Amino acid sequence: MKLAYRNNIFNVTLIVFALVILFFLSVPILKMFVGVGSDKLMDAIKDGEVISSILLTMKVSMWAMVFVIITGLPLAYLIARYDFFGKSFLEAMIDIPIMIPHTAAGIALLSTFGDTGLGDFFKFFGIEFVGTEYGIMIAMMFLSAPFLINAAKDGFRKVDPKLENVARTLGANPFRVFFAISIPNARKDIVNGALMMWSRGLGEFGAVIILVYHPMTTPVLIFDRFSSYGLSYSAPVAAVIIGFSALVFLIIRFIVNRFD
Amino acid sequence: MSYLSIKHLSNSVAGFSLKDIDLDIEKGEYFVLLGQSGAGKTRLLEAIAGLYKSSGTIFYKKDEISKKNPEHRDIGFVYQDFALFPNMNVEENIVFAGRYREVEKKEEHFRDIVDFLDLQNLLERSISDLSGGEKQRIAIARAIYAKPKILLLDEPLSAIDPTFRNSIMKKLKEIHRRYDLTTIHVTHNFREASYLADKIAIIMDGSIEQIGSPDEVLNHPKTIEIAKFLGFKNIFSTALLDQEEKVNYFSIDPNLIHVVKAESNNCFDYSFKGNIEECMGITDHFKLFVNVNENQFFIKIPKRDYENCLSGVNNFITIGFNEKDIAYL
Repeated sequence: MKLAYRNNIFNVTLIVFALVILFFLSVPILKMFVGVGSDKLMDAIKDGEVISSILLTMKVSMWAMVFVIITGLPLAYLIARYDFFGKSFLEAMIDIPIMIPHTAAGIALLSTFGDTGLGDFFKFFGIEFVGTEYGIMIAMMFLSAPFLINAAKDGFRKVDPKLENVARTLGANPFRVFFAISIPNARKDIVNGALMMWSRGLGEFGAVIILVYHPMTTPVLIFDRFSSYGLSYSAPVAAVIIGFSALVFLIIRFIVNRFD
Repeated sequence: MSYLSIKHLSNSVAGFSLKDIDLDIEKGEYFVLLGQSGAGKTRLLEAIAGLYKSSGTIFYKKDEISKKNPEHRDIGFVYQDFALFPNMNVEENIVFAGRYREVEKKEEHFRDIVDFLDLQNLLERSISDLSGGEKQRIAIARAIYAKPKILLLDEPLSAIDPTFRNSIMKKLKEIHRRYDLTTIHVTHNFREASYLADKIAIIMDGSIEQIGSPDEVLNHPKTIEIAKFLGFKNIFSTALLDQEEKVNYFSIDPNLIHVVKAESNNCFDYSFKGNIEECMGITDHFKLFVNVNENQFFIKIPKRDYENCLSGVNNFITIGFNEKDIAYL
């Protein structure tokens, strides 16, 4: 629907308020690219430490996302399809990481998976969470998994259970129904949730820095350069990670929309 | 033993119960389950298909299928809204069962269904831009492609434009015969039931209330509730006919009650004096509501025979009907 009455005072009011929020959302991003200057931007792109931190951040955030796709989709499906004792409590528990300060989440993760019995248990299998990629992954996962789980839950709720019933009568067992009917018909929400989780993971700082300072993810590197050398050294790194993230985001969106 | 034998089937989900359902359905039978909305028709079909946990037993020939999962029961299901898979095109929907089941002479069978249901031009289409009739044909094609032992149809005509209902009812009968199916068709429409059914069961509030041939069920309802559901009007105690020895009820079709114009012409087996309470003009007829000793008769009289809805007469008239037209309940 087009804005039919351009002089309508209501529409003008809407546009004015929309422009205010768009200003605050877009100008800092644009300023990042314009203010940094192309020389510094190119230097940052050529900087091996910057590139390896960006690749590390993207890779680990992706692994966190894959882990939650494998384990979180069944959880989202259970919540969407069945009523059971403690369901509301479970849903609230999934949402808690969204609400707590990220540094507090980092402390919670460190006291659970750091130098503890549980930490030693994982160490036995060669998985250590302090100062490793596993630590980055668990921090990203802890704080951004709710975005994927909640989106998938909404997606599964939109899939008519009758589709699954019919598929059963046509010979598909529950696993096949899940993969052939439930997931494909909830894919829009799942993909949106996955992208949201992945991009949210890219920006995770508070929890990551408590568990893992080295190897440095990009947010930690930006903080490190800002605190050691100031704004002019950290801004190009920030601009590069924003550019990379936006590029990957657009490519995935393009692919998803093409196959829809 | 019958082809499909359901014994003491009960379940209770979300505050609604199916109560001790017994049904025997023969091979090749077109069985119609007739009931109002909320009577438990769809629930019963889903229980037969194994989609709800139920107590009781279901035998297919001598094989107890009630312990089997839905994917092992060989029962085809067509929902009221057709439940086509939105992530697949028409052809993928139809052949879905082929991914999981051995379908004999796959290609030949597929071609036959596509030709018979006239789906050739739809195969590549997405299901989102199809009409109700097209969706219905595809849902039926998908169910029969799997070669089910029994086909369950849940109100298949309710989402269809009324103009096409008669031709689709005819098609359903043809499909039933051509693919040698045993069909259970659920509906709330007794005209649909009378056209299609070899046998009818009336379901009310989760219980089967009457089973029999269409003539038996539709013309001789066992209870007043069934009679009312089937559209019977003018249900009164037989005491009104001076048949006090039998405590029973009768019904008389509003079209078969006549207004006695002159006492000399009163040749009806039963006649009553009554008070006109209301007269409504409807296209070609009047609906007349006449109070006879606190019993309200509903009568339809043609407009061409009566001008101004009997406004010329005083409020009291005589109505009459014949014994042969009475349906005893």
